[in-house]
Amino acid sequence: MSQVISKPAIRRLVERWLRQGKRVIAPVQVRPNLVSYQPVRSSDQFLLEGFVRPLNSIKQVVFPRHEQLFQYRVRGKQIDLLPAPLPDIERIVLAARPCDAVALPILDHVFNWEFRDAAYNRRRELTTVVTLACMEHDAHCFCTSVGSGPDDTRGTDALLFDLGDQTLEVRCVTDKGQSLFAGQTEASTRTAAAGPGPERRADLGRISEQLEQAFERSEWAAWTNRCLGCGACAYGCPACHCFDMVDEGGPTCGARVRNWDACQLGQFTLHASGHNPRSVQSQRQRQRIYHKFHVYPKKFGELLCTGCGNCTRNCPVSLGVLPVLEAMQAEEAK
Amino acid sequence: MLQPLRETCRRLLQDGTVQVVIGYGQAVRAVEPYPVFITDPDDVGQLVWNEQCRTNLVKYLLRKEIRVLGKPAIVVKGCDERAIVVLEQESQIDRSQIVVIGVACDGMAEPRCEVCDAHQPRFADHTIGHATNVAQPAERRYAALCEFLEQPPSDRMAYWKAELERCVKCYACRQACPLCYCERCIVEKNRPTCLDTSATLKGNFAWHIVRAFHLASRCVGCDQCSRVCPEGIDLRLVNLSMARASEASFGHRSGTDPQAELVLGNYSQQDQEHFIR
Repeated sequence: MSQVISKPAIRRLVERWLRQGKRVIAPVQVRPNLVSYQPVRSSDQFLLEGFVRPLNSIKQVVFPRHEQLFQYRVRGKQIDLLPAPLPDIERIVLAARPCDAVALPILDHVFNWEFRDAAYNRRRELTTVVTLACMEHDAHCFCTSVGSGPDDTRGTDALLFDLGDQTLEVRCVTDKGQSLFAGQTEASTRTAAAGPGPERRADLGRISEQLEQAFERSEWAAWTNRCLGCGACAYGCPACHCFDMVDEGGPTCGARVRNWDACQLGQFTLHASGHNPRSVQSQRQRQRIYHKFHVYPKKFGELLCTGCGNCTRNCPVSLGVLPVLEAMQAEEAK
Repeated sequence: MLQPLRETCRRLLQDGTVQVVIGYGQAVRAVEPYPVFITDPDDVGQLVWNEQCRTNLVKYLLRKEIRVLGKPAIVVKGCDERAIVVLEQESQIDRSQIVVIGVACDGMAEPRCEVCDAHQPRFADHTIGHATNVAQPAERRYAALCEFLEQPPSDRMAYWKAELERCVKCYACRQACPLCYCERCIVEKNRPTCLDTSATLKGNFAWHIVRAFHLASRCVGCDQCSRVCPEGIDLRLVNLSMARASEASFGHRSGTDPQAELVLGNYSQQDQEHFIR
């Protein structure tokens, strides 16, 4: 037996969650060719079908692009530090793609490594992730190349499958998912399967070892020199998590804030002395590949890539990790 | 079109006129053409030309990663070449050290191409093909802006708030812009900080307004910034607004006349100063 829910019923549920003061984040059609995860304000605003994947990611729900760490106030000789209150609003991510949800347990490693990030962990606890298995993929998808797939349940609390005729099968994966859908579904004999997923584009079984040998290769420039040095790949990536901390405000009051940062921006590694250890774009691109496919797996045992393809989708010049890996492996095969 | 383009590039590489051709290439599985840098005459077969060649390649004339490859030839459309005109006027390039290959273009299947009047390159060293498109009347150029301005100010403000709310400050607009060439962008200055680096509504408004100021009367309207924005923010409306002001107040259309004096880059004793108190 399976559990099913109709699409109108799930929209009514969203209505109720919003009334309860919960934050709901789901794919929204922003423009004819642009679907983006956005906070929804009404139950008719989001998509449950008809898109491959949004151009941003759900990491913003647990790791916002901008957050205050504390405020400061200076009165005479006294300096008051006011820590930012921990988040307390419950969030439900609806109809996310598995390649987004998979990134969350991957990110947990780094946000609980040498320092336990309280705000991140609080947001993780407050967030329930409902994913929608993929029926289709596009030319940029490569989840199957990184050991994932269109119905991967890692990081997911409940996984939905489209049965057609306005009905979704609900498979609860965690207690959180169970309690979200408790009493809302009907028993059925129908069951669904995800689409076949993209064919494997790269063999990443030995990627870490391959990269070990590839650091000094002269071809990095040829593989990457069309990169323009923006952050579109990193900011659309479900797994990229670098940030910068800056003080914003004046001499008497202000705040220390944490903002997303991206390794392809020239200033990312610029030292105060003026020296830049990654002075050309090929070194920055190489770093991005190394972090995802060598450094992170060595440290935490998992690739820092979910195969979502957003880096290439968002890239002004169609670069991203897969084209670089393909170029590298083609060279190796020669 | 493609064969003469490849032959021209092969000849330029073969006789040593240039060391690299900046053009469009396409891998079998790639969705769109992307920039390629051809250094071997035998590789000109990688060059492609089709109505997906949207990217303005002019930015690569300024990137040090490409400059080290040697004297370049660059493939441009009529709209892209305007950026070369401005870069020369602003002393950013030595035009004699660049070979410009203009390719006639009948539009790139984009809204802006419907109002384009630069189908045929005018300042190229080599021109490939003849555009068959007829230039649109000048008043159509600002049609998208006029339509937008018909809305009341409160609606326009609501529109920009909703759009800029999505901006994540990836700086794709800046990095792709052929005229954003500052070695250190004002948003990166931190002693003291000039603009909030935060991607908040305040920081995003500040960023896009300052960038617009810096491009006023300079922007050539290639719309690369709108095209590359991963959040689909239509910066074209900002660009059109500046271009219209430049044309109306100074009779200046950026990049269309290599002999024209720059609006912001020239000083004249006849300049009006009544606004300086």
